[in-house]
Amino acid sequence: MNNRRHFLKRLGLGAAALPFISNLSAFASRAALSSRKQRLIVMFSPNGTVPWDFWPDEEGETFILKRILEPLKDFQSRLLVMHGVCDKVRGDGDNHMRGMGCLLTGVELFPGNIQGGSDTPAGWASGISIDQEIANFLQSKEETRTRFGSLEFGVMVPDRADTWTRMSYAGANKPIAPIDDPYQMFKKLYGQVKDREVLTSVLDSVQQDLKRISQVVSAADRHLLDEHSTFVRSMEAQLRQSRSQDQGHAVPELEPGIKEENDNIPQITKMQMDLLVNSFVNDFSRVATFQITNSVGQPKMHWLGIDESHHELSHEPNENKEAHEKLTKINTWYSEQLAYLVRRLSETPEPGAEGSLLDNTLIVWGNELGQGNSHTLDNIPFVMVGNGLDFDMGRSLRFPNVSHNRLLVALAHGFGHHIESFGNPEYCKDGVLTGLT
Amino acid sequence: MRPSAGLLCLLLLSAPVDAVPADDLLSPAGHSLAQDPVLERGRAIYESLCISCHGANGSGTTEVPAPIFGDRPTSDLADLVTRTMPDGSPEDCVGDDARAVAEWMQQQFYSPEAQARLNPPRIEFSRLTVSQYRNAIADLGTSFKWKVEPGVERGLKGDYFASRDFKRDKRMIERTDAVVNFNFGAASPEADKFANDEFSIRWKGSLIPRETGWYEFTVHTENGARLNVNDHETPLIDAWVRSGSETDFSGSRFLLAGRVYPIELEWFKFKEPTASISLFWKAPHGVKEVIPAASLIPENSPEVLIVESPFPPDDRSAGYERGTSVSKEWDEATTYAATEVADKVFAALPRMIDEKGDRDEKLRAFAAQFVERAFRRPLTDELRETYVNSQFAAAKSLEEGIRRIVLLALKSPRFLYREPTGTDDQFDRASRLSFALLNSIPDPPLLEAAQQGRLADEKQIREQAWRLVNDYRGRARMLEFLRNWMNLERVQEIDKDQTAFPDFTPEFAADMRVSLELMLAQALDADNADFQRLLLTDTIFMNGRMAKFYGVDLPEDAPFQEVKFEPDKRAGIISHPFILSGFAYMQTSSPIHRGVFMSRGILGRGIKPPPIAVAPTAPDLAPNLTTRERVTIQTSPEVCANCHGLINSLGFALENFDSVGRYREVEKEKAIDANGQYLQRNGEFVRFAGARELATFMARSDETQRSFARQLFHHMIQQPILAYGPDSIAELATFFKDHQYNMKHLAVEIACGSNSHGWKKTSEPVAAAETK
Repeated sequence: MNNRRHFLKRLGLGAAALPFISNLSAFASRAALSSRKQRLIVMFSPNGTVPWDFWPDEEGETFILKRILEPLKDFQSRLLVMHGVCDKVRGDGDNHMRGMGCLLTGVELFPGNIQGGSDTPAGWASGISIDQEIANFLQSKEETRTRFGSLEFGVMVPDRADTWTRMSYAGANKPIAPIDDPYQMFKKLYGQVKDREVLTSVLDSVQQDLKRISQVVSAADRHLLDEHSTFVRSMEAQLRQSRSQDQGHAVPELEPGIKEENDNIPQITKMQMDLLVNSFVNDFSRVATFQITNSVGQPKMHWLGIDESHHELSHEPNENKEAHEKLTKINTWYSEQLAYLVRRLSETPEPGAEGSLLDNTLIVWGNELGQGNSHTLDNIPFVMVGNGLDFDMGRSLRFPNVSHNRLLVALAHGFGHHIESFGNPEYCKDGVLTGLT
Repeated sequence: MRPSAGLLCLLLLSAPVDAVPADDLLSPAGHSLAQDPVLERGRAIYESLCISCHGANGSGTTEVPAPIFGDRPTSDLADLVTRTMPDGSPEDCVGDDARAVAEWMQQQFYSPEAQARLNPPRIEFSRLTVSQYRNAIADLGTSFKWKVEPGVERGLKGDYFASRDFKRDKRMIERTDAVVNFNFGAASPEADKFANDEFSIRWKGSLIPRETGWYEFTVHTENGARLNVNDHETPLIDAWVRSGSETDFSGSRFLLAGRVYPIELEWFKFKEPTASISLFWKAPHGVKEVIPAASLIPENSPEVLIVESPFPPDDRSAGYERGTSVSKEWDEATTYAATEVADKVFAALPRMIDEKGDRDEKLRAFAAQFVERAFRRPLTDELRETYVNSQFAAAKSLEEGIRRIVLLALKSPRFLYREPTGTDDQFDRASRLSFALLNSIPDPPLLEAAQQGRLADEKQIREQAWRLVNDYRGRARMLEFLRNWMNLERVQEIDKDQTAFPDFTPEFAADMRVSLELMLAQALDADNADFQRLLLTDTIFMNGRMAKFYGVDLPEDAPFQEVKFEPDKRAGIISHPFILSGFAYMQTSSPIHRGVFMSRGILGRGIKPPPIAVAPTAPDLAPNLTTRERVTIQTSPEVCANCHGLINSLGFALENFDSVGRYREVEKEKAIDANGQYLQRNGEFVRFAGARELATFMARSDETQRSFARQLFHHMIQQPILAYGPDSIAELATFFKDHQYNMKHLAVEIACGSNSHGWKKTSEPVAAAETK
């Protein structure tokens, strides 16, 4: 029965011996040895895009951003728009399920008991996802190892674990739940530092009270309190020491009391993105996913004046201009969130090196569908931003209906992880996706 | 000079300090040793012949360092002196001389009472033990919720739906299921109510675990299921998505005995060819089994605040857990535990306070109340300032303030130590009473009684004591004691020779343990809570599997039930199959293990570890000898015989029972000799044959009764009983007898009788008598 305790220990939860004595920046100093830190963020938004307002008409280095990508204009030279990348994985499950479960795994879902629409029921993906594959690769080497390896952020992800709500997998049948509560994420990232702060300030009161009680206790019993007092003093000293080490860490301030509800999506998104940027500054992780809602996501974007839920709108036929105007607005909003993240990264200097975080970070923005009303898995609206991998950015690319598995392989190669295939090898026969570098 | 064999023998009569039963059988309280001519003669002999090696008061010298003390009768001591002392010339001290010196040693320093007089035990200032800490946190949390006392109904409430999503209007069946263990095959629970390919069931209720420890839960299903245990938010097992071929899903929870935990299992079938669902657990000391109905109740309950952080184990060198030492590891553990509790309190806040209305005001009130309950008394203005107000003032938000307050309160000596103010007021009484009977902090009604001055006199205290001993937690505490008293922790896993006893499986061993637990519970739950019943009962609980093994007539799938079982041959716990098998070898019985169990555990004798390591003679090396003959030969050397004379002759009386506790009359083609004897501490021999005569002797022996009272006292109070007066054991034993050996009466008497005694504030040593 020790397993659980060891597990807790590893997590740094209740049992942890770690929280009060370890130096969080130990990893950071080691990482400085490497030439440059490379990072990956996968951002997800649901229900497909509006193709005519998304894909640039031009191909190559000169292209005009359409409405949805317009918010990224300032970063056009650091952008790759990737038309023609298709999720070709088939098998059990409807397209929303496969679109989500296979997006980062490139492998079929297991048969199961979860059914949407009229397709066959399915279970979890049958393999690891690329973010975890890369995180494992980075964690396997001393110079790229970080405290968490990967961080999974979410925004308003429904409180149920199923194929529509998970895109990151530690392995077959091992979905990873994103953390969609900024306070919980804060606790994971900085809880120990916070606890140290609080403890440092309360231990003094403990010490004083020990003294007071010591006065009424007989000499024979006093040794117990004296010893106790010594331990408290030694913990205080340790805390002070760790605290001076904590100083180097930017601990963000979160606005308190933001409830997890639909209308707070903009605020939660911003809080989570700030935490993400901060975690990179502190080098807690080099890999992150950022999942806004879920496959078949139902946010109602009242703040854009839209009262229908996103998924319902996405079923409307192309002829319904009013609905598609709203869908364009919705997707533009997601794009704005990406732009916010990109801007934050570009404005944040790379600690201990030249340039900004964006110079060393690649963001991949993806979706479970190409378009909502057709439920197509072709032309997934993939956009990449930033210079984390040595891709030749600032282009609009048109691929001839290629499998997205090859893109996943390219991401791994970008980190120096030279795998031959990823997910179902059937879809990797033509090798790594070319034309990126 | 090296101690010779003779010297060694005298040393063997002394027991290590932890095993000495502080009994007062021989204590002539206030007796003046010098006025008795025999004693005067003994003193003179000791000073001329013994003191040079054994030192003053037998405390040892550099040549013979081991101190002399123990619980042997004087006649035994005299016999030993006659045969072996002084070393090298035993003829110098024999007969009346040996008896005189033995008598003087007995009264001057040898007996536990003499030791207590020489080194008066005192009530020590103590911290909470680890189990007290965990219980205190759990009950502190529960004090802000509602409390559930299990009723008589067992099983879980089951709601059956003709849909996969528990739609209220699709609920077709509402009933209580004893256990969750269903195989519907390709069909549904009821043909006319459900379609075969889609239905769902929700089982809800609470768990009432018997023992404290880690419980591993397993859900077995080819469909979708979600299990919540003591956590409404996060499932322990989420197997809602059926994926691949896995059918077993596990997760563990740490649970404390005597508390009630919410459990909910949701399950659905959708289009899979078949449907089945089973809910298992593996309890501490148990095997993986379908969670039995006895551990399930259909009532809901609130989450229990459980501390999972590890702590270093408490000191048990005195024979009971006590909190009289601190260590760096312990201090660190209290810090980790405090942060764990702060996290959990924070997560549970919405369920601990009503957040409607003035939330700020309520949070502030909650924080103050949390501290008061943790400290077991109201806060003075000064303490309120330190522990509550200034923490809120230093925090950036109310939430952070709560976190500071919880951390500080749980790191405070006012929480971590027992009655730390030494006030000796009604709040200290409430605290002592509650720790004695529940091993935890006072509950709100008890604190309220103290607040209102309703713990002023003996009668009021006794009323509360009775309430607590009859509380569900109080019962768990008593059962925990009975397990300790029987030394059950020494019987971890019982393995038997699979060729000789193929039916002796781990499941069967677990059944036997349950059977013994039921015997303990039955004695405790009876109206008269009669201690003697534990030793004398002629019934036993068996299920079908046990019955088959022991040749009792029950259906194979029979649940546990009370049956008569060889009533003329067996009696109570000493011939219970679990004890007989647990204290035995894989193929043969072990009179030594059984003898130690009875002499040390039941009669309370101080037996020390063997002085020399002896590999037991393997039965096949002595093919013609019975177990009794073999053990007798093996323990015949003088160095062994001193203790084994006592041990073996108790164990031999159970020789009618083999390695697996079956009755036998013949071994190795020889008739079993189940005669035994015991030299009592008053110097008188008793003889008995077989389990029932032995049990009858022990049930009536005041050695057994004193030992039981002494051990219960230590279990409850965690302080040396003789610190409460030189006659405290005798008085408790008399009380026990006067109250027909009612165990609950005894517990209440211990809790109340010790209640007015706390640790002493003065620095002068306190004479034991003074505290009476």
